[in-house]
Amino acid sequence: MLADIRQSVADWIFRARAPEPPPVTLVQRRIFILPTRQGYLFAAVLLVLLLGSINYALSLGFVLTFLLAAMGSVAMLHTWRNLAHLKLRPGRCDPVFAGDTVQFRVVLEAPARERFAVAIRRRGDDPVFADVGPAGPAVVALPVAATRRGRLRCGRLEIFTRYPVGLFHAWSYFDFGLAAIVYPRPDPAAGLPPNQSRAGDDEGIPVAGDEDFAFLRAYRPGDPPRQIAWKALARGDDLLSKEFQASASAELWLDWLDARAPDPESRLSVLAHWVLETERLGQSYGLRLPGAVIAPGRGEAHRARCLEALALHGEESAP
Amino acid sequence: MSGGLPNAALDVRNVLWLLASMAFVVAPHAARLPPWVGAFFAAMLAWRGWIAWRAGRHAPRALVLLLTAGAVAATFVSYGRIMGRDAGTTLLVLMAALKLLEMKTSREVVLSIHLGFVLVMTNFLYSQSIPMGFYMLACVWLFVATLVGYHRGTGRAPTLRERFVPSGMLLAQAVPLMLVFFILFPRMQGPLWALPQDAHAGLSGLSESMTPGNISTLIQSEAVAFRVQFDGDIPPYGALYWRGPVLWNFDGRTWRMPEFTIAGSLDYARAERPVRYAVTVEPHGKHWLFSLDVPGEVPRGAGLRHDLQLRAIRPVDARRRYDMVSYLDYRYGLHLPAAFRRMALAFDDRHNPRTIALGRRWAAESAGPVEVVNRALAYFNARFTYTLEPPLLSSDDPYDEFLFDTRRGFCEHYAGSFALIMRAAGIPARIVTGYQGGEMNPLNHELIVRQADAHAWVEVWLEGRGWVRVDPTSVVSPTRIDGGINAALGPIGVIPTLIAADRLHVLANLRYAWDALNSQWNQWVLGYNVDRQRQFLESLGLAVGDWKRLGLWLAVASVAVGGLVGLGLVLRDLPGRRDPAVVAWERYCAKLAAAGLARQPWEGPLDFLARVEAAHPAVADEARGITADYVQARYGAGLGRGALRALQARVRRFRPA
Repeated sequence: MLADIRQSVADWIFRARAPEPPPVTLVQRRIFILPTRQGYLFAAVLLVLLLGSINYALSLGFVLTFLLAAMGSVAMLHTWRNLAHLKLRPGRCDPVFAGDTVQFRVVLEAPARERFAVAIRRRGDDPVFADVGPAGPAVVALPVAATRRGRLRCGRLEIFTRYPVGLFHAWSYFDFGLAAIVYPRPDPAAGLPPNQSRAGDDEGIPVAGDEDFAFLRAYRPGDPPRQIAWKALARGDDLLSKEFQASASAELWLDWLDARAPDPESRLSVLAHWVLETERLGQSYGLRLPGAVIAPGRGEAHRARCLEALALHGEESAP
Repeated sequence: MSGGLPNAALDVRNVLWLLASMAFVVAPHAARLPPWVGAFFAAMLAWRGWIAWRAGRHAPRALVLLLTAGAVAATFVSYGRIMGRDAGTTLLVLMAALKLLEMKTSREVVLSIHLGFVLVMTNFLYSQSIPMGFYMLACVWLFVATLVGYHRGTGRAPTLRERFVPSGMLLAQAVPLMLVFFILFPRMQGPLWALPQDAHAGLSGLSESMTPGNISTLIQSEAVAFRVQFDGDIPPYGALYWRGPVLWNFDGRTWRMPEFTIAGSLDYARAERPVRYAVTVEPHGKHWLFSLDVPGEVPRGAGLRHDLQLRAIRPVDARRRYDMVSYLDYRYGLHLPAAFRRMALAFDDRHNPRTIALGRRWAAESAGPVEVVNRALAYFNARFTYTLEPPLLSSDDPYDEFLFDTRRGFCEHYAGSFALIMRAAGIPARIVTGYQGGEMNPLNHELIVRQADAHAWVEVWLEGRGWVRVDPTSVVSPTRIDGGINAALGPIGVIPTLIAADRLHVLANLRYAWDALNSQWNQWVLGYNVDRQRQFLESLGLAVGDWKRLGLWLAVASVAVGGLVGLGLVLRDLPGRRDPAVVAWERYCAKLAAAGLARQPWEGPLDFLARVEAAHPAVADEARGITADYVQARYGAGLGRGALRALQARVRRFRPA
């Protein structure tokens, strides 16, 4: 209930605002502090101790009570100081496939002194703790499950701490407008893309079934079993994989219309699988979506462009 | 909201820390409470430690409930109740052990730590000595260190340093505010609710009755009964009779205080010069206060009985200090009312027939009471031995046995038999118990009266002279009265034996210093009550009208002191804190500017130095040194703390003409 009150107070004070440009420094007026449940319990214990001291006329009881009370007040300052003047920057947020976990990263810097047990959390998620010191920035990665493709926005984050004694909860909010691209989940049942093209480049070498064997290379985890050179293994060599070489000149168009699937999301999954497969085979490929065409190409950046186009298909284009 | 603590909330190290802190805080109770309590606590701790260490299974809930019920029952069986100091403390210790055993969530861990703070408090119910105070401070530190380690958050376990340094800082920074509260928080007179009967149990001291043998157990005790500060001359040692309970009723074996009595008056003949002193009496749980024969005034909150006994209105459950005036040269009770005369002559003639016969024979053979008194003293002087370990008197006629058979005894034997002889001889007599002598602390000129100085003597009533003190023990062992108990019996116990062997008086002086320290502690820390608070604040010039006024002072002072502590913390990490080397450099430039040589904004330190050397050749060396240091601090490897100070000192000394 306390937490609810705190949340609604905080919501009222920090009404939704536009994301801020980094870096954000936690200046004094941004930090809020309230006792925790433990803090209220501690106050109740202090009251018991005080009554006991008065009743039994225990001078050292008074000393104990007042020492603990003063310790609590000093601790409030320490808790506040543990956040004050922290500098926050957004970190890298790599794209993932739907069903995987996005890591939203925030970089913390504390140039002057060590901060302990500083936590960041998204509303409703578990907090992630970090220590920050003058030695260098600390990176906090917040794992968020990416359930569906598209742009996953991190939203407002809470940074808080209860160090050193947990009697007070000091917190602040910040929003960098962090967002991660979530690619459609590839559909492994989609097989390889059909050997046809709409761009008139018909002499491309067929891909399915009869690739040219090119060379052997060291096995990499994830290579499909059919690619493993079983004969070489039987000879006593190390685990090797057969690499197939498709014709570099061949261009393949991955087309929305070729992806046979019951609904648009499944089509995107099929296309995502094709992008991965074609890229793996080293073939040059282009992507044709309703409203978007990506010219053929190859390589990591091209693949990312294609997957991003699939991810954002139908959403408003990226800002 | 979740507990806010990451991973292993019950990390094994944190649990073990908590268990260790608990063991430390409960340890002093082990000797005070029944042995089964300590054993139970240790067993629960060991079990919980094993669970944490081996990641074992938690105790089943039903078992914990069963143990809880068992603990309450065992407490009740032990004490016959579950409230009161001993029973309450026992129950708290047991519950703390069970809480530790069942503790699973982070909230329960914190609850246990809070319970630990309450356990610290229970120790103060038994002892508030200096060592106990510091031991408990260490325990509080341990608990706060546990709390800090527990909120350290990240997966790595905090090091010892990471636990003790922040917690120590917290406590150290709390001290100023604690002092403000201790001094200014309004103190109250008396308890808020009725104290349990055993709140002040275990206090030693005199009792309402005297049976042969019970004072000699007191004599073995080195505990302080009270301390005295004399204002002016200190009376001779032999005159230091500290008057306590006066015993009138005698049943053949035991002397007792009368059940009821009437008030006395201070209206008696006395010498002109009184002795003035202040007594700080240790709590003994009874009503009487001590004064030298005979009191000249009655302290606040006390009354005087007709037999010159001072009685406090409330039992002396806390240390108490009062100012006294006494007259050592006096004449009191010239007129003895018939009722008191009957009381002072009563005895049961079915017991001690030989003693009674002796008294009657002496009365018949003597010319008057004074002769009987002298005869009795001479009798004791001739044939008796003073000893702390007299033979046990077990018969129904203990004084017969003592006077005619054993003839070895202690003050209570002499006083008791002497008084009985007097009564048999028709001389009104009563027993006065109290203390005799004391030990002067040369460091603070305070007289320390210990339980070992307990004594009993007799007062007889003589026509025309009133009540006269007769101390039969003094004729048996004069050194007992002139030199104290140690002189009479030789050293008692280990410490006096060491002191006797201590030629250079090192140990004796240490003991005196320790006692002086304790006296200060008692007066200023433990005895800081309503009166002392008012007295102290008035000596500071603070007019303390009532608690509202005091509350206002408290608010003002705590805001001021708390503000200062806070400011110190906050100022330390203001973002724009300036480099001290730059500050020193600017000061150097300002001095030169004052001497007519201002540095141009675009001028680098070395260019400026060239101009300084040309303009002020007298200080060129100094300027070169300062510039070199500054350049190293700003553009080179930096300056160490010592070099930085040297630079600041140089700049301070720098005097361009």
